[in-house]
Amino acid sequence: MPGLTSAALVWDLAVLAAALLGMLLTGWPRLAGSGLSQVVRRVIALCLVEASLLGLVIAVVNRAGGFYSSWSDLLGRYTGGGTLRSVAEGTSGNSAALTVLSSAPVSIPGSVHPVGTLQTVAIAGQLSGLSFRGHVYLPPGYPQALGGHARYPVIVAISGSPATTEAPGAAVRLAVAAAQQIASGRLRPLIVVMLPAGPGADLGCLNLPAGPQAALFFSQDLPAAIASRYLAGTGRNDWGLLGVASGGYCALHLVLTSAPVFSAAAVPAGSYTRPPGSAGPPAGSRDSPLGLQDNLAWLVGHQPMQPISVLFTGTGQARSFLSIARSPMQVTAEAPASAPPSALALDWLGRVLSAPGGR
Amino acid sequence: MGLTGWPFLWLTIAVAAGSLGCTVWLWPRLARQRAAHIASRLGLILLSQALLIAASAVYANDTFGFFGSWSVLLGTGPQQRIATPSSVIAPAANATSLTVTGSSFGTMFRGGAVFPPDASFRLAGVTPGRPELETRASTAGVVLRVTIHGEYTGIVGADDYVFLPPQYFQPSYRWTRFPVILTFTGYPNDPLNLMRLLNLPAIAARLGAAGRIRPAIYVMVNPSVALPRDTECTNVPAGLQVATFFGTDVPLAVERTFAARTSGSGWAAIGYSTGAYCAVKMAMLYPRQFTAAVSLSGYYVADMDRTTGDLYGGSLGYRLENDLDWRLTHLPAPPVSVLVASSASGEKSLPNTLGFLRLVKPPMRGYALILPRGGHNYYTWRRELPQSLEWLSRRLAR
Repeated sequence: MPGLTSAALVWDLAVLAAALLGMLLTGWPRLAGSGLSQVVRRVIALCLVEASLLGLVIAVVNRAGGFYSSWSDLLGRYTGGGTLRSVAEGTSGNSAALTVLSSAPVSIPGSVHPVGTLQTVAIAGQLSGLSFRGHVYLPPGYPQALGGHARYPVIVAISGSPATTEAPGAAVRLAVAAAQQIASGRLRPLIVVMLPAGPGADLGCLNLPAGPQAALFFSQDLPAAIASRYLAGTGRNDWGLLGVASGGYCALHLVLTSAPVFSAAAVPAGSYTRPPGSAGPPAGSRDSPLGLQDNLAWLVGHQPMQPISVLFTGTGQARSFLSIARSPMQVTAEAPASAPPSALALDWLGRVLSAPGGR
Repeated sequence: MGLTGWPFLWLTIAVAAGSLGCTVWLWPRLARQRAAHIASRLGLILLSQALLIAASAVYANDTFGFFGSWSVLLGTGPQQRIATPSSVIAPAANATSLTVTGSSFGTMFRGGAVFPPDASFRLAGVTPGRPELETRASTAGVVLRVTIHGEYTGIVGADDYVFLPPQYFQPSYRWTRFPVILTFTGYPNDPLNLMRLLNLPAIAARLGAAGRIRPAIYVMVNPSVALPRDTECTNVPAGLQVATFFGTDVPLAVERTFAARTSGSGWAAIGYSTGAYCAVKMAMLYPRQFTAAVSLSGYYVADMDRTTGDLYGGSLGYRLENDLDWRLTHLPAPPVSVLVASSASGEKSLPNTLGFLRLVKPPMRGYALILPRGGHNYYTWRRELPQSLEWLSRRLAR
């Protein structure tokens, strides 16, 4: 008998079916009599033709899908397992995910003691393969000050261009702002991680199709790297985002698409209809699904409302977000009269992160 | 009338038989050797042939459980709005993200509810609400039918199942948090077949009783969240975020509802065919949630055909990102273990399976389970299960 998946079986069945069909069509009048035996012969002849055609169809489908590989397979006669072998043994060649390059105390006007530490760090993304240079601000008394097993909340501050983050000036200014708020008791002690929105250019924290996977870095590599080195909280309520200037797109995009990791973001008010710089899609493809997804106002209107809190600071345009957002997403906008936007955003993040009864 | 079950099957058989009878009855009237008569004969034969094939298809659907109802076959359910950017997806779930809609003792869901609908399964070793059920549950285990509401994606996984092993209800396991094995069916399919045809909970219970594997919670899900579309566990651009649903929403819902482990080494995934692609993809995309995956007769490319439609927003680049071979070639390998199973003879997936394995590099670990022979069917997968589950049990550290 030909194999169950062999071409021979299909051809045999096809020839058989064609022959039987031909015989039935031409021999039809001979079975047209009225006796019972004639009727029985008709039924038998019809059943033979139909069975052969059905068998052909089943053989073709089985061959195409590779469901049963042989007659024994069909009848379930094979037993026993196979050989299990290790083919690629992984070595846990664990290179450090986060390296501290330098460390300096942060001093603020009016205080003789340093208020925390500012570290320059390099972070190697284990899953994305992307490497970032950035800074980490550690509050005064870190890590003992909280006592017990308490962990520090983390604010990830994202600036648009790598230049502003790598130049220590901007990082020092933000660290000083955080130190001042902490020293004055308006902000509780927390860790501030300062990073650019992309390792080279501003990627808007997007995974570029088949390109650099910045969203993967920020949503998975970064929390793991920070947790490997610092006494940082691991729940989503411990993690917030601060968008600085054009880093606002990155922060808002992350909180909208990685809400299981980040629970809050403070960003400059804006429309955020497309990513900054070179990360965006070409003008013609903004209505494509990927282009739509990069339009953050579209995203808020079309994906389920995420359990996140968003603060828009400054005088820019944020009306579209304010009008679309519904519970559990909470959106507020504040145009500060006197305080600088960074201080306002830091205070707000300090309040919403790990707030009692918070999500 | 339901798509599955004997009434509709017998109806299709009756119609096919009736058409056969009509042909026999009309036979003498078409007995002239004229073109019109010969064409009519052929038409009658083909009509009854088509009806016979339809009845066979209904029988095959009953046997293999491809489509569980008319709504999933025809796509009239509420969740068929993939890549329809104009429609607003329903608001995300409230705090209750997993609802138990049925329960039965043993390793097979038989309908009904042996536990009250408001029973809590938060703690192991405590029979929820009904002490008299303790003996049955702690010897046979329990299968729950559940609906999972995705908190972040808004996706609803209806008619999924959870197997709680006998140990879950034994007092000595009271303070245990059990590892979780997320189990995917193929496409198109009904997760009921993980019990009915694959016998997975029964095999797990047998291996557990023999002390060959440690007890685990088995979450049995349908990878196709919008049947009849094949969604391939993919985050569809401007559409359903299926990868996030299985990688984040389902683990969160399970961890909140059961005495389940939450750390990265406490979760693994297993599946066959399309479910195998999903299992490996989950481990590779969410290595901090899933520490290991088993692929039974799987594939590793980003599928695109008539049943999937375009899941990648028309972007070749995004499609590549969903191609597991491409990921291994272009991105660092994730720190997970994968076991890929195929057959030396009878399974078309063998070359691609071995090809995938060759791309595995540290810190990822690759293992192969090759049967001498066996096709793309439940006999094969049942034979692969004992070794696969023992391998998984070793990976899920205590």
